[in-house]
Amino acid sequence: MWLWFAKLGSPKWFYELSTKWLPWLVVATVLVIGTATVWALLFLPPDYQQGYTSRILVVHVAVAGTSLAFFPLMAVAGTITLVWKMKLADMVAKNAAALGAWFSFITLATGSIWGSVSWGTWWEWSDSRLVSMLFQFFLLLGVVSLRSALEDTDKAAKACALLSIVGCINVVIIKYSVEWWNTLHQPASPVSLQSGSANGPEFWIATALMILGVYLFLSVSLILSTRNEILQRERRALWVKEMIAAEQ
Amino acid sequence: MLSVAVKPSTRSAFMLTLKRDLLIAFKRKNDIVNPFMFFVIVISLFPLAISPEGERLAEIAAGVIWIAVLLSAMLSMDSLYRGDFEDGSLEILLLSPHPLFFLVLAKNIAHWLVSGLPVVIASPLLAYMLKLPSESYATLMLTLLVGTPTLSLIGSIAVALTVGLGSRGLILAVITLPFSVPVLIFGTLAVQASASGLPSGGYLTLLLALLAGSLSLAPLTSAAALRISVS
Repeated sequence: MWLWFAKLGSPKWFYELSTKWLPWLVVATVLVIGTATVWALLFLPPDYQQGYTSRILVVHVAVAGTSLAFFPLMAVAGTITLVWKMKLADMVAKNAAALGAWFSFITLATGSIWGSVSWGTWWEWSDSRLVSMLFQFFLLLGVVSLRSALEDTDKAAKACALLSIVGCINVVIIKYSVEWWNTLHQPASPVSLQSGSANGPEFWIATALMILGVYLFLSVSLILSTRNEILQRERRALWVKEMIAAEQ
Repeated sequence: MLSVAVKPSTRSAFMLTLKRDLLIAFKRKNDIVNPFMFFVIVISLFPLAISPEGERLAEIAAGVIWIAVLLSAMLSMDSLYRGDFEDGSLEILLLSPHPLFFLVLAKNIAHWLVSGLPVVIASPLLAYMLKLPSESYATLMLTLLVGTPTLSLIGSIAVALTVGLGSRGLILAVITLPFSVPVLIFGTLAVQASASGLPSGGYLTLLLALLAGSLSLAPLTSAAALRISVS
């Protein structure tokens, strides 16, 4: 019964499986993101208040939603690292932190561009989503810098796993405390994000497609970076040497 | 210090660790005095940089004191496990038959007594210098009394994770400061509420909840982190 689980943790098994699956995933990613982009840019009707800028939200909402998945992902991978000492889980988690930081950054950037037109400001402290996303960005950078500071791979894996689990809990606490800080301290933000997006099935379908596309993109990038990590860490393993010899 | 003939109970191990850490702290006064001086000096820089006017100072007083507390806690945390790691007594601690939870908790309490408590005691004086309305002195002290141990407990996790590193002054801050956001938010909100005559009990309750949560979970996490770092 536990065989599949043990198999799942084997880098070699993952590498071979991902070699088969990767082309399909890449094709799916390109198709879905391509469709969503064309739809959003050409067919989405301009919002009666925001005009064409509402189209930025298709990307923004998708990336923002996806960026929230990183801490749970890293916490689960970290638990697997700590409990079952599975090497593969840490190889995934290592690159997830940096990727998550990029996703958070893109969320902040696209949000700022949209906000500069719709709210008339690039940054607004009174919106709790902005502030909690900023601190998620900082927390992810903390995990990245802890990883790069620790030289021993095994130690770094365990330390980052622990930090990811604590960080996952903390992201939630920070999110709620920032929200209370806003609602108790200041009136609600001047413009609600819902005003632009509540209407029209066209918008939601485009956004849903984009969310699917961004998740596909996330899995492709994670798989690629994990394969890289596998080759680097298993470079002395027989199967890697044989594979390289076969290619030459 | 630790040479007890019969196997001591966990309670006496807890007390012995506490005593030992306090003794070491008083023999190495620099580790206590410097973060405290940093706290006082940072606060006295703000009026010079912003404005000597009482009204403007009173507006920012709560935030300035809390940020100075956060920064000086960051500096003092650095010495929490370093000495023990360097002379090898940390390994003895990890090998002891007692639950590491209580030993780590004892170390954290000792550390808070010498680094957090002085800040709490000195805070009304600094609040006076920043022209904070006198009605909120009590709230400020209470929030600091509840908030600083939380900061120590959270910081202890990051210190434990990085204890083996040679130079780690900044990485400690990068990891810990985002974690301290909730304490900062509720601490300053409570003081600002009481300064404008509003009830601050709700924020204090939230701070207490954070303390209760970190008191039960943080030593556990620190213990796990120490076992990872010293292996």
